[in-house]
Amino acid sequence: MAAGTKPRRRRAGLSTHRSSFSWGRHRTLLAFLVVLGFFVSGTSGVVAYFLPAVTTALHVTGHATTGKGGTHGRTGSGTVQTANPPPPGQPFTVLLLGSDNDTKFPPSGVLTQTMILVRVDPQTHHAVMFSIPRDLWVPIASGGSAKIDAAYAYGGARDAVQTVQNDFNVAVNYWAWIGLGGLVTLVNQLPGGGVDLISQMPILDVQYPYDLTGNNPYANQRIAILPGPQRLNGVNALTYVRSRHGDILEDIARSQKQQELLVAIKDAAKHLNLADIPRIASSLGNEVATSLTPGQIGSIASLAKDFSTDNVTQIVMVDQYPGQYYTSETVSSQAALVPNWSAINALVAQNFPA
Amino acid sequence: MSPRQLLATAASLGLMALFGLGVYAALGTLQTRTTTAVAPTQEQALVDLPGTIFVAQGGSLYSLHNLTFTKLNTPAGNWVQVAPAPNGDVIAVDKGSGYSNVYLLSASGQVLRTLLSESSASYFNNHFAYYPRVSPNGQSLFYAWNWIDPYANYNVDFEVLSVPLSNTSVSPTVWSLSNLYYQGGDVEPLPLANGGLIYVKYATGTTGNAGAVYSQLAYVTTPGAQPQFLTTPAQNCSEPALNPAGTEIAMICTNNQLQTSTLQVASWNGTTLGTPAVLSTGPMAAMPTWSPNGTSLVFMNVTQRSLPFQLYWIPKAASSKPGAAQQVTQNLSLTATSDPVWYP
Repeated sequence: MAAGTKPRRRRAGLSTHRSSFSWGRHRTLLAFLVVLGFFVSGTSGVVAYFLPAVTTALHVTGHATTGKGGTHGRTGSGTVQTANPPPPGQPFTVLLLGSDNDTKFPPSGVLTQTMILVRVDPQTHHAVMFSIPRDLWVPIASGGSAKIDAAYAYGGARDAVQTVQNDFNVAVNYWAWIGLGGLVTLVNQLPGGGVDLISQMPILDVQYPYDLTGNNPYANQRIAILPGPQRLNGVNALTYVRSRHGDILEDIARSQKQQELLVAIKDAAKHLNLADIPRIASSLGNEVATSLTPGQIGSIASLAKDFSTDNVTQIVMVDQYPGQYYTSETVSSQAALVPNWSAINALVAQNFPA
Repeated sequence: MSPRQLLATAASLGLMALFGLGVYAALGTLQTRTTTAVAPTQEQALVDLPGTIFVAQGGSLYSLHNLTFTKLNTPAGNWVQVAPAPNGDVIAVDKGSGYSNVYLLSASGQVLRTLLSESSASYFNNHFAYYPRVSPNGQSLFYAWNWIDPYANYNVDFEVLSVPLSNTSVSPTVWSLSNLYYQGGDVEPLPLANGGLIYVKYATGTTGNAGAVYSQLAYVTTPGAQPQFLTTPAQNCSEPALNPAGTEIAMICTNNQLQTSTLQVASWNGTTLGTPAVLSTGPMAAMPTWSPNGTSLVFMNVTQRSLPFQLYWIPKAASSKPGAAQQVTQNLSLTATSDPVWYP
């Protein structure tokens, strides 16, 4: 027993020493594993949260301007030379495109009902919005002449950007496209589920398209948006910027209203934060596309917070005398606006300096 | 591995999983709420205003009395405007799909009478009727009604009509001719004790001011007369409210500021307006209503752009030194195109 006890003690002693050494190391390892586990778990939570945003971002952002990408519009072939991204802090120009992508048109052939050039100067915190009438008869980048809203239908964002750059002699750094449903969703996803704006007049339209819901894209509905300050949800905001029949200025008035909505969206977007991005991104789906990268979108969003509404210049080409900017004519059996390029280019050069 | 170690490991893994879920959930709570408004019945007013105030929110009507909101027991509908009526009743607009009807309701929301029924099986016979106002003598109902050009049905404008309140089915009197075409037309009638009418006319600028859209307060003494404008296009005023004494008009003006509206008050001598004083710089002041004794005003406004509209109150609004605007509600989303109705 004694002989057997001693080695056991020794073994026990050795064992205790080893155990102490091993336990210390083991405890460190264990602590590391626990910390790592929590880190991995927490990271997984973050990844799972932002996964929809990342997925959507990969799908809708950072598109090369060789084509619009997404499911709408033709990709086209060849490339367009958008202006290089400006150095940080320097002014940049974005071409905003909006389409009536209802079922009246094939997804690959939608027109752009909205074309707005936006120049942002991060240093002066000043922005200029310039609406291009959709009926302007211009040389199209893909060849020939047509209403400018057809450029996108012919060759996606590539042709739309190239056409604007060529015709208006302006450098476009980025573009962004949104469809009808995208606008509705975007406004609904803003804080409070809407935007505040002042309707400049009663909006009445007895032939407003009834194409967001229902089975007949050619059906009409009667709409009324009352004048004055009010809060609009996504559907009503779309109605506000899309209705044109009851307005003597038709598309020109629509351009003014689109710019008003952009300002209202900018004001509402100030209250968004990083945690809102997955919800908004996943809800927008294929209804948006842009050449901006997520990082650039983030930079612009943070810029917008410092922009006062008073520092936004709205430009809509309205003739103060007949033919100042364009004349209404029938061209190739289409009612079009034939531009007075000298006046238009002077206006653009003044507000979009190189 | 001992059972104790096994348990500890399982507990650790569970905690880690919970931590991951917690991070996910915590990020979710950081989101900006897309619905920030609550029903008025879930909120108590911040200021105890005398009497009862009726407002609209989310297609329902509410009354505010002693700091507490009560939902009116109206039939199901989309109740978008409320207006005063004789005997403590209210008039309300129920907007349907492509039309709106006007009803006389009791103060608790019971339908007493259908005043204007504008729905029709025929598409072009549907109409919108808004801004109902009873004349000071209680005899007539004024309202804005959309006229459709029979020869160009794109051309739709509001015009101001009136009918006897006792028999609203008779052919209406046309007070303003919406012959501007495609310019929104005439809204917000304010019938006067002298038998005249103030309303708001929308128009679009012409040569030199083309593209500008503006509103002006217009005054007529007889139906269909050429209006006398009380404000200029540059003031861009609308939503007039006359105090009970008939001497002050509160109104909303933008003064051509981009997406900014202010609350202004000007004296009214029966034919002209005095120089207006700005009582609230907005940024989106809307729909002023005088208190029953004419000393103060309530109106709609936002605490900052992009947030829902709340009710505000200005004490001593008619005096030379009006008080500062005080927020009455804080978490509602009131319908800013409906004036509040304020009863003693």
